[in-house]
Amino acid sequence: MSLRVFQATLLQLIADPSFRDAVLAGHALDADLTQQEQARLRGIAGDRGLDINRTLHKGFRLGKLRAMLPLTCQVLGPKQLAREVSAFWKERPPSSFYFLPEALDFCDFLRRRNVRGKYLREVVAYERATLELERARVGAAPAQTVVFRHDPRTLLSTLAAGRRPRAIAEQRCRATGMKDGHGRVSWHVETLDDGRAPARRPRASGQ
Amino acid sequence: MQPLPKLGVGLAFQAPLRHMVEAKGHDFDFVEVVPDIFWTDCGPEASPRHIEDDDGIALVRRIMRRRPVIPHSIGLSIGSAHHFDQAHVAQMKRWWEWLRFPWHSDHLAYHLAEHRGDQANVGITLPLARDRESIDLLLPRIAEVLRQVPVPFLLENNVYYFDIPDGEMDEAAFVNTLCRESGCGLLLDLHNLYTNARNHGFDPMAVLSSLDLAQVGEIHVAGGMELDGFYLDAHSDVVPDPVWELLEWTLPRCPNVGGVVFELFGSWVDTVGIERVRNDLRRMKQLWATAQGETAGRLRRQPVRAQ
Repeated sequence: MSLRVFQATLLQLIADPSFRDAVLAGHALDADLTQQEQARLRGIAGDRGLDINRTLHKGFRLGKLRAMLPLTCQVLGPKQLAREVSAFWKERPPSSFYFLPEALDFCDFLRRRNVRGKYLREVVAYERATLELERARVGAAPAQTVVFRHDPRTLLSTLAAGRRPRAIAEQRCRATGMKDGHGRVSWHVETLDDGRAPARRPRASGQ
Repeated sequence: MQPLPKLGVGLAFQAPLRHMVEAKGHDFDFVEVVPDIFWTDCGPEASPRHIEDDDGIALVRRIMRRRPVIPHSIGLSIGSAHHFDQAHVAQMKRWWEWLRFPWHSDHLAYHLAEHRGDQANVGITLPLARDRESIDLLLPRIAEVLRQVPVPFLLENNVYYFDIPDGEMDEAAFVNTLCRESGCGLLLDLHNLYTNARNHGFDPMAVLSSLDLAQVGEIHVAGGMELDGFYLDAHSDVVPDPVWELLEWTLPRCPNVGGVVFELFGSWVDTVGIERVRNDLRRMKQLWATAQGETAGRLRRQPVRAQ
């Protein structure tokens, strides 16, 4: 039992700097740990090598998000991305080696947090829908729809070129994404001129 | 550990090396793949748990037409105290039934642990305490891997940026004991050893000269980089001179070794350049050929058996 607690505590030392500070300050460790395990953990908490592990751990997690959600990262910008990622990491421990589940979790986190940003919601909805199409599953992936409030071609191409979007024309559109039998994802965009007011929030849904 | 087939020099697969790996040529003899990138693990509750990537499987089939493929997994987390992942072993068994690889390997470490009542993946391999308790944890797990996948199974010595203090054994004694009692072999990562020696200030030759090299089934070499006063096992460069020296000393002394593999992360391929990769592979092939001759001479003089 205590080896399980030892490993869990070591993981927390790497992932949570405030816990490490508490251990260094003499915070009591789990009573299930042996005296030797407690001494080892206190020794590791003061080891500079733990900083390298934390850097690698963060790099691993951030790399996953950057790889899977390049447009969301671009539209957030470096400061807001750092703020949101820090909040996300506090709430969610890393659960998988695979990039996609953590990226989907981050999309859901951003949607729940109601993060400000003129284009953020529709970009997150689009990238989340794309990941849903690409995720491994048995059988065909359900089609995905995303409603945009701004011209998606201009918006997405601006972000893909590594630029921050500014003054993108308002244009209510519905994008439908499909995955064909060869695994290729394609999107069909139609303009919505049904006289309704623009949707307040973009949404993505499986059909 | 039983002797492995002498495959020679291997290249670790990364997507930017895809053309090199698929092409004809004599710079390397086999390809090592991380099998976990060719499937998606949908999680312990999912059914099916693992879904193969069709494009990835097609790629492996194409590679196999030219060269043997050896799996080097990252997913088992064999040192996790809270859980032994039988489903991962079953997946490796399915791959063995498909590929019939002559050996396979994973890491002498763990990356999964409990966190807030759930399982978390730290994303880096963490060291095990070099204690009897760790060996007792590993023995039945290695036995299960050997039972399910009936070919030699190797565990790779870990890189560690902090050590777990007051171990009951030093690294060589820990690895020797584990291999002797479990029947697994050692994947001797010389760059990991060099990285640990450099960061923690010990002589890598002291470890090498204490290891039972008859247990070595495979050797890894790579290059790294500096960060914040540490040298990282970043797989970001060609093989540095001190690692070549370790390889030159070690290779002829490993009578059962099946291959030597060069590792380079895909994101560094453009920076390093394919030609420098080829140069290292050619140098490895020369060392391999020389070592096979030296090993044969050594064996004629004094047969070496894994204990």
